[in-house]
Amino acid sequence: MIQAIRRRTNIYGAMAGIVPKTFLAYSLWVWVSLFLNTITMTILVFFWKAVYADTGTIAGLDLQTTLTYILLAQIFLPLGDLSMIFEFGYSLREGGIAHALLRPVDFQGGFYVQYMTQTLTSLFLQIPMALVAWLVFGLRFPTDLQLWAVFILSAILGRTILFFFDWMLACLTFYTTEVWGLGVLVYGASLFFSGSLVPLAMLPGWLQTFALATPFAQALYVPLSLLTGITPLSQAPMVLLIQVILLITLGVLSRLFFRVAVRKVTVQGG
Amino acid sequence: MAIIETENLTKVYRTTRKDPGLRGSVKALFRPQIVDKLAVDRISFHVEPGEMVGYIGVNGAGKSTTIKMLTGILVPTSGQVRILGRDPHRQRVDNARQIGVVFGQRTQLWWDLALIESLNLIARIYEVDPARYKQLLDQFSETLELGELLRMPIRNMSLGQKMRAELAAALIHEPLVVYLDEPTIGLDLIVKERIREFIRQQNRDKGTTVILTTHDLGDIEELCQRVIIIDNGRLIYDGPITTIKARFGKYREITFETCQPVYQAIALPEGAHIVTNGYSPEDRKLVLRFDRTLTTASRVAHDVMDQVEVNDFSLTEPDLSSIVKQIYNGALLEETTS
Repeated sequence: MIQAIRRRTNIYGAMAGIVPKTFLAYSLWVWVSLFLNTITMTILVFFWKAVYADTGTIAGLDLQTTLTYILLAQIFLPLGDLSMIFEFGYSLREGGIAHALLRPVDFQGGFYVQYMTQTLTSLFLQIPMALVAWLVFGLRFPTDLQLWAVFILSAILGRTILFFFDWMLACLTFYTTEVWGLGVLVYGASLFFSGSLVPLAMLPGWLQTFALATPFAQALYVPLSLLTGITPLSQAPMVLLIQVILLITLGVLSRLFFRVAVRKVTVQGG
Repeated sequence: MAIIETENLTKVYRTTRKDPGLRGSVKALFRPQIVDKLAVDRISFHVEPGEMVGYIGVNGAGKSTTIKMLTGILVPTSGQVRILGRDPHRQRVDNARQIGVVFGQRTQLWWDLALIESLNLIARIYEVDPARYKQLLDQFSETLELGELLRMPIRNMSLGQKMRAELAAALIHEPLVVYLDEPTIGLDLIVKERIREFIRQQNRDKGTTVILTTHDLGDIEELCQRVIIIDNGRLIYDGPITTIKARFGKYREITFETCQPVYQAIALPEGAHIVTNGYSPEDRKLVLRFDRTLTTASRVAHDVMDQVEVNDFSLTEPDLSSIVKQIYNGALLEETTS
């Protein structure tokens, strides 16, 4: 048993190790995206200050809470990134899927490890943005270690939920060639429902309920609302329980989806 | 016991057909025409351990589809395939440990990283013992001349360098079965020869079973004792190269360069005929094929030169390429019906 775990750790560890290297192969891209993300963060700060110019609170949130949430949402934005649709689509078009299927590892397991490593790498590259948020916009990071612990747990669960959801959508690329349209559609949905632009607490009741049920919100808004106190810590057990249930359900569904979809795979005409 | 077994292996692709133009696209949106294409049609063969088999056919004949079913990437529509006693699709992970694959037109290496990074990762994924890995890396570096390539990102490599790197990656875990799909496509003669030597060495020293698909019949002649030929998804020949050469090698081709275009009929000795495929009087090239068991080259040349003024002529010995061309032109069918 221990031997099996050690073997798997060694294999998946090696697969994880390759991610930062490929990521950092394009240094210009890293710097440009950092610059653009900082600009976006700046615009959002001024936008929310303007929104709050004539009012003290919106949906029970004051300016400081909203700004803290928005700044943290921009820093932790990689938690809500989607990549599997384009990854599968590109891989099918270029034929790389054939080699991925030929590796002696669990196909989904391999992608999951790389997905999570990619998230960690992206978060690491957000450190300069966090410094800007702290030094320029006066972001006050929560100091309660319990909050951080709950946040990290919720973020891991939420990111995994999003992975399984992203995976199921990516399986559709085995059936359709319209990967770009599908990718844009999902990206648009994630922009609104992840809570990266607006705290979901500000949405009308019915829309908030719907948004919270989406994997996009589970990955970003739910953990951040715990960290910023929008969702009280006392509700954390229930929030985490819901996340575990979603994770198990989507995990099982995603395995079934793949098992059926992979039978449809075609690689460059054959 | 056979290492590769296929029984009535069949693959049908279901595709959507669109009429040309915008109207066709709109029509397909509402009433898509579903078309079934039979890519592989009831193919059965067995391969014994240590064999090197050439799997050949024209573009679209079903070669790559067969290979992908053997590797477990594609699921057969019907029929059976077993590799080392396993179903390669259902037991994908176990099967993957024992096989190596090179798809000549796509890479399994990490595009942005140095070759050594890719090889290190592959060795860890396949759980190659570190000491053995070091030994193999040294061996491969020498045979495939990888020395300077190890530190080079894949994206900076030439086609030949990339292919050498691909072979190293496909064989670093010492697989029992290797599928090579067009491994020498677009390569110059020197690189081709180096790659052929490497494959030969792996087969000789480790008993690796090799399935080779290629359009370069030189690869097959150099490496394989057995050849499987498929056409339109169906197996049309499976046997030793020597047998096929003996069966179809009785035909020779003789090419005459005539002084004038030849329009008139020419009387030929029994067993000789004009190769009509591609024949053009304006080219002033007259290609004849004759059965050397019925007539001789000198007899054919004599008869032609009696009737047509000839500048030059040449006799072609049959190689595998010309034999395959004959088979595709119906020689196998002709032989069966006669």
